[in-house]
Amino acid sequence: MRIALAGNPNAGKTSLFNALTGASQHVGNYPGVTVERREGHFQWEEHRVEVHDLPGTYSLSGYSPEERIAQDELLAGEMDLVVAVVDATNLRRSLILVTQLMQLGVRMVLCLNMADEAESSGLRLDRAALEAQLGFPVVRTVGHRGEGIDQLKEAIHRVVEAPSYDDKLVLGEHLSAAIAGLRLALDEAGEPERLHGWLATRLILEDEHIAHRLSERGEAGAAAVAQAAAARQRLEADTGGDATLHVMGRYHGFVDGLVRSVTLQLPREDARALSDLADTILVNRVLGLPAFLAVMYLTFWLTFTVGEIPMNWLEELFAALGVWVSGLWPAGSTSALRSLLVDGIIGGVGGVIVFLPNIVLLFFCLALLEDTGYMSRAAFLMDGVMHRFGLHGRSFIPLMSGFGCSIPGIMATRTLEHEHDRLTTMMVLPLMSCGARLPIWMLLVPAFFPAAYRAPALWGIYLFGVLLALLLARLLRRTVLSGEEAPFVMELPPYRLPTLRAVITRMGQRSWVYLRKAGTVILAISILMWAATSYPKLDPVAVQGKTEQQQLAAQLKHSVAGRVGRALEPALAPMGFDWRIGTALIGAFAAKEVFVAQMGIVYSMGEVAPPEDADDAGSDRLRAALARDYSPLVGVSLILFLLIATPCMATVAVTRRESGSWRWALLQFGGLTAVAYLLSMTVYQVGRLVVG
Amino acid sequence: MASDASTIKLTSALEDYIETIYQLVRTNKLARVKDIAKARGVRSASVTPAMKRLADLGLIRYEQREFIDLTPDGEVVARRILSRHQVLRRFLTQFLGIDDQRAENDACSMEHSLSPESMSGLVRLFEFMDNCPEGSRLLDLFHSCSLVQDGIAACPDDCSSRASHAKSSSPTERPSSLDQLAPGLAGRVVQVGGKGAVRQRILDMGILPGVRVQVERVAPAGDPIWIKVSGFQLSLRRAEAESIQLMVPTA
Repeated sequence: MRIALAGNPNAGKTSLFNALTGASQHVGNYPGVTVERREGHFQWEEHRVEVHDLPGTYSLSGYSPEERIAQDELLAGEMDLVVAVVDATNLRRSLILVTQLMQLGVRMVLCLNMADEAESSGLRLDRAALEAQLGFPVVRTVGHRGEGIDQLKEAIHRVVEAPSYDDKLVLGEHLSAAIAGLRLALDEAGEPERLHGWLATRLILEDEHIAHRLSERGEAGAAAVAQAAAARQRLEADTGGDATLHVMGRYHGFVDGLVRSVTLQLPREDARALSDLADTILVNRVLGLPAFLAVMYLTFWLTFTVGEIPMNWLEELFAALGVWVSGLWPAGSTSALRSLLVDGIIGGVGGVIVFLPNIVLLFFCLALLEDTGYMSRAAFLMDGVMHRFGLHGRSFIPLMSGFGCSIPGIMATRTLEHEHDRLTTMMVLPLMSCGARLPIWMLLVPAFFPAAYRAPALWGIYLFGVLLALLLARLLRRTVLSGEEAPFVMELPPYRLPTLRAVITRMGQRSWVYLRKAGTVILAISILMWAATSYPKLDPVAVQGKTEQQQLAAQLKHSVAGRVGRALEPALAPMGFDWRIGTALIGAFAAKEVFVAQMGIVYSMGEVAPPEDADDAGSDRLRAALARDYSPLVGVSLILFLLIATPCMATVAVTRRESGSWRWALLQFGGLTAVAYLLSMTVYQVGRLVVG
Repeated sequence: MASDASTIKLTSALEDYIETIYQLVRTNKLARVKDIAKARGVRSASVTPAMKRLADLGLIRYEQREFIDLTPDGEVVARRILSRHQVLRRFLTQFLGIDDQRAENDACSMEHSLSPESMSGLVRLFEFMDNCPEGSRLLDLFHSCSLVQDGIAACPDDCSSRASHAKSSSPTERPSSLDQLAPGLAGRVVQVGGKGAVRQRILDMGILPGVRVQVERVAPAGDPIWIKVSGFQLSLRRAEAESIQLMVPTA
């Protein structure tokens, strides 16, 4: 048996889905889009029930990818039943979707979700009357506490066994007549009877998606479309207005009558008073922004400062693991397997997994912000600024997360409701200078800037990244991601006390996605990167008598990465880079901070006897070498390039996953690299002319 | 005569009697006490005192004889009562769709308590519905809306906008788009313009002609705005709010 969950974005559908399916769920993306796809199952007596969580939508009008997907899933007719999840505190709005589901002729069960909240506001509903007027069972649920789940399962069972579905929707004489007039044409086009009501309505409303569906059914389909156009004209003439308003008016009229007749007691006037009081401060014109910045500060403090503690544990764990695995071979062994395990896999995958504490904590905070309702307020506060650059108010938080690490930032774009907003935010997110780039700035800024200019230079790097991100976002919205702007119209539910269970579930699911990524694509790329820097092997005879550092440098130069670096030299020269920088840049693709290590190897630092404080002295010497070999102009050009170009492999992999296609990941990779190249080259060439 | 027919105040029982006499006289030329008693479902003995009272008021001729007739004043009063009855009956059956029997009973109990002002208001409504070319269409519209209980909140835009045109001349309301409204002000939606996804979303959220919206607050940057509509709260950008036309009380 297959059932679907349908409902508005804020109706608590996901928590209900979690309560129904428990741990049996699979989370992925619909092919080619950024829309999340969730499936799971549960056992009811001897039946296995597949549960499909449709994207949250306010209607099925097909304007967004979510709405199209939800509509297509229902039109495909593979669902035995639809559980319509409505927010009991806001029936008038959430039942609109239910009227559309009723037109789709599916068997249904209605979930009055968040019933506890509705009841505590004083609202009392006559559930029996609601069932009688809708013609299908109505169940009281509290999804995030798992209340009413057994009754829901029982109702699902009852409805599936019922003989047929009886449509009790009343749409008024004009619309009913218009729909009835199209039934024959739809029948001739081969459309099943249960869909006639919905298809006729959509055709009357000139839904291109549905018109296309019918035009694929030959002449009979085209005839139905033509007939619908006439029906629309007649409807508009009869009702003296536009058809969309008439149809929406009929849906709302039905819902309004329904809600009036089943409401025994209205919610108290002051039910929202406390929430409104909180809003007078939290979204105040003056206090709102400082309050928001404080919330953001707390979030990032928790994510990156507190998160650093377990991150260090993990780093030590992987280091210890590396040492232990190394120890399995005799000292000085040149076993390729050892190198692969230690340098390739443990180094590469470990380098990504160490960010897990950050990810878990950030997603904990984001789930908390979402479940309390503060996220919508944050979007309200920030949209004025973000919208000027073609972004959404909600883009702000993922972008801020990007200062810590691009990966959780990109994953946090899921909180954005619309595909174009999600993609734009994802594309420019790597421009937020992430934590892994800080070691690079620590190496390069002191090397090329006099002490007095270092702090402003560092600040300038971050600021430049933000400005460029905003500008590129605007550019994207005018080119590849142009098109009609998605509506901002957004519900602001009252503040709610989140349940730990719901927050942890959400956090756990997203963290798991990250871990799985580390285990698959990132593992593969790590191995490739390792091979590129280790092979082909240098003839040991050639490096005889040299120090270990010199051997490493020679080996790197000899490897694929070194050769590519050298081959790239002509291309890098316009920016002022040589093969050494080229080789290190290839390493930076694995993880940004690897750039520093690679430069260290290329310069064979350590040829001079290391003093006590090896680390500091080593980087000081490296800085000195850099300052000797490159002009400050090359330094600026290099900093620009590292800030903008080539997001790390994990970012590319996560973008691929979250955007649903390699196209966007490659556009991000290629686009940012191209911008970096142009900017660095311009700076270097113009700079050379000026400096002389 | 004791008083002017148009100002005579009668008890509901006396109104019912005079109505009955009028109907009997119209069909049989004359009314007899026992006919009246039969029509009202009472004993003849209880009819007699009422007849005396009506005769005292100069509304009927009743001189201890079997036959009763209306005076000219009595006829005026009777007509007035009867027309009220018919107007109410028509209102109940034709407008509200109440069945005949119930309408008859309800009209009987309503006709005595309705003031002349309310009565003439109903009469004016009938005249409008009968004479206005839109009248019967509006009535149809009302019936199709009210098929579901009393769900008329979502009246299609044309009648609201027509209503607003009529009202726009009145000094108490002015047209405005939602984005122009200062926080704290409210208005009634008369039209939702715009197109595509934004318009659809606005309609999905229940912002339809006839609905009341109130601006609650404005974001720090001046955009977006925060509104309250039919019991819940929404935010939308000014550019989106621009397409929502309202009538706002000027008081």
